[in-house]
Amino acid sequence: MTDILERLQPIFRDVLDDQNLIITRASNARNVEGWDSLAHINLIASIEQDLGVRFALGELQDLQNVGDMIDLIERKLQT
Amino acid sequence: MNEYRWANLSVGMREELTVTVDSAAIDTFAALTGDDNPLHVDPESARAAGFRDRLVHGLLTASYYSTLVGIHLPGRYALLQGLDVDFALPVYPGDTLTVSGTIAFLSEATRLVKIDAEIRNAEGARVSKAKIRAGIRER
Repeated sequence: MTDILERLQPIFRDVLDDQNLIITRASNARNVEGWDSLAHINLIASIEQDLGVRFALGELQDLQNVGDMIDLIERKLQT
Repeated sequence: MNEYRWANLSVGMREELTVTVDSAAIDTFAALTGDDNPLHVDPESARAAGFRDRLVHGLLTASYYSTLVGIHLPGRYALLQGLDVDFALPVYPGDTLTVSGTIAFLSEATRLVKIDAEIRNAEGARVSKAKIRAGIRER
């Protein structure tokens, strides 16, 4: 399976309109410029669309960073 | 005005509207925005630049994407969140345009609707296309 972080990278760059952006598992809305509430909605929707996963509202509330998001996506792709 | 709620929406739903853009609309848009570039307000300048008449502002035509979302799909409960537009062909005074949109993706978790939209002229040529993102309000 292609590394999830690798698949998220272009989505973040596209949504946040920064082609030099490099995200890591530690990236979050506090340390990535432009990751505001509207960008968050667009990130979630684009991840769902591009990776073919679906999130429930309750699953998203406890995510602290990209690493948590990757773990959630991996669990969904394994089921 | 349509009043689609989240539960009424599905991928593939399509709506359209037709509008004729006249010279008065160009003049009003120029006055509202201050964009009175000669291409838009002076037919002679437009012809000298190679066009057959003055040009309708691209963003005037794109404003009908707002009408599409706010009135037709989804309508009353829409909240326009983003729009990526590409302009392909000039639009002239008197052109009749068909603005259409089709739901391409629905995100339940974020209540976000993605709409693929386009505007075609009376000859059927696409004058612009757009990727639209809209939220759905509960009330």
